[in-house]
Amino acid sequence: MFKKEETLKPGTDPGPLITAEEFSHPKSRLAGYDFLIIAGAFLLLATIFSTHRVTDFMIFCIFAMSFDLIYGYMGRLSFGHLLFLGTGAYSSGLFIKYFHGNPLLAMLVGIVAAALLGMLVGAIVVRATGACFALMNLAFNSIGFFLVLSPLRGITNGEDGFGIHALSVGFFNPASKISMFLFVLFFLLLVFYLLKRLTSSPYGIMIRSIKEDEIRVKFLGYNTYFYKWLTFVIAASLAGLAGTLTALNYKYVNPNVMDVHGNVGVVFACLIGGAGRLYGSIVGGVVYMLISNFLPIYIHRWEMFLGISLLIIVFKFRKGIWGYIQEMEEVRKRQKVVPEIAGKGVAQR
Amino acid sequence: MTLTILYGFTIGAILYFISIGLSLTFGTMRVINFAHTLTYCIGVYMLITFISLFKGNFFPSAILAILAVIPISYLIERFIIRRLYGESLDYTFIATFAITLIGVDSIKWIWGVNPLPLSDPIGTQLNLWDFTFPVYRVLIVTIAIVLFFALELFFKKTIVGKIVVAALEDKDGVRCLGVKVERHFLIVFILGSALAGLGGVLYAPISSVHPYMGLGILLLCFAVVIVGGMGNLRGTFVSAFSLGMVMAITARYWSQGAEVMVFIVMAVVLMFRPIDI
Repeated sequence: MFKKEETLKPGTDPGPLITAEEFSHPKSRLAGYDFLIIAGAFLLLATIFSTHRVTDFMIFCIFAMSFDLIYGYMGRLSFGHLLFLGTGAYSSGLFIKYFHGNPLLAMLVGIVAAALLGMLVGAIVVRATGACFALMNLAFNSIGFFLVLSPLRGITNGEDGFGIHALSVGFFNPASKISMFLFVLFFLLLVFYLLKRLTSSPYGIMIRSIKEDEIRVKFLGYNTYFYKWLTFVIAASLAGLAGTLTALNYKYVNPNVMDVHGNVGVVFACLIGGAGRLYGSIVGGVVYMLISNFLPIYIHRWEMFLGISLLIIVFKFRKGIWGYIQEMEEVRKRQKVVPEIAGKGVAQR
Repeated sequence: MTLTILYGFTIGAILYFISIGLSLTFGTMRVINFAHTLTYCIGVYMLITFISLFKGNFFPSAILAILAVIPISYLIERFIIRRLYGESLDYTFIATFAITLIGVDSIKWIWGVNPLPLSDPIGTQLNLWDFTFPVYRVLIVTIAIVLFFALELFFKKTIVGKIVVAALEDKDGVRCLGVKVERHFLIVFILGSALAGLGGVLYAPISSVHPYMGLGILLLCFAVVIVGGMGNLRGTFVSAFSLGMVMAITARYWSQGAEVMVFIVMAVVLMFRPIDI
């Protein structure tokens, strides 16, 4: 059974134990160490599964990280983040189809389009919190889905979608799977680096403080609206990047990329990996993609499995996989420290 | 045009049936219940089962279907929703969504994925002056209006209703008076679920029946509750009928745009009156 004291506490999970010192100066260990681990892990995955599939995993991880910036760091649950992924995919796809086949230019167009939409939607949405924020995002997502499906049928080709033939530029050839894999891996590392820098900067502290208590941040004289809006725009443009990569990877765009029901996946990924931690969203993204790709083959009732595991996460396992690993590490460190202190005590006596 | 208005009232009535539960659950327990329309969906599938048992007799099977929803909603409240009191909104969101996933998959397991046919149980048309109305739709609107007054009476005159209204205002205050609030929450939850079941049973013959039918209407109901005000029963009544009318009138001129128009209305309302929840 649940404990009363725990449920009465407001806010989300307590997170890892950190001091004020650590909160304002998080360890920014930006050596090649992190990159090597991530790149190595994905290369290993690519040898186990097909390259194309792992490219897909990585794109989803980029998307999960951009979602985590809003959900894990700023503490606002969005149920319509796929809108920006879809915008990125559609605008880059349409650019290639109607104007020019250069994939890099198309990516730029996709990211800019998603950022512009993020600015517009963010200005409205960011004023709300909690369920209102989630539902407004959901509403905008369903409006976007509807727009590409039916009124813009003339250019987007409705439900059927359209194919994309991107030209190759320099080293990057979208038709080659290996080249695509390396290209996406580069962007994954770039996004990881950017978000790592961003979240450990003073700005990152600001958005985490907004998550903890927005009113207090306002009392300190900060314009929280602007920071929330900025975060929303950054997350939207990164989701747009993931969208352009999706379009290039599948060479095909259809309305499913911004299907409203797909939003559960990314929430699940962030939760299972551990919200508010960049590594967590990468781990969660890979785990979710593995589950959604391979589980339906082995277990027929995979939606039920997903539901039950979500319930278990919510009731028993809130920190997620990465949070759990961190906790284990902390416990180990404490066990190391305790005998030392005990030894000192004996010596003093 | 008269027919459009009637259709608007019908959709409004259905939205009203389903939104009451959502609004009450939020107002009393502060739980956003994503699994609310699961009972709506289960009610419809129960109806189909009972109709085949009773050889096409609609009304007794409808009542049985609504009654069959009650134990299911009891189980959901007892084992999941009750643990979510006082939790942050994201976790209640996700937990109740998980219930929806499990429920929809069970429905697919038991009844299959394919849409099932269900026809208008009355089928007669009412001729009034120059217009013809389907009797069934008039019946739905009548039930909605009767229900509105019945609920008003329930919340004003009975002791259970009074406790619930008081808990909407101040939950801790009621608890201090020695009232077992949780038990009344359970009653409210079951009432809301049964009304959602009623909505489903009444709406199914004039719409399509498939396992995902709950998700589509859930978003509309959230819009209704947000526009009407969370936990505000009269507001829910007014907003359900006005949004139903918005849907019907949009659908008359631009059939695909009906649902989107509701979200646009909702976004506009939220822009001018954001709710801090």
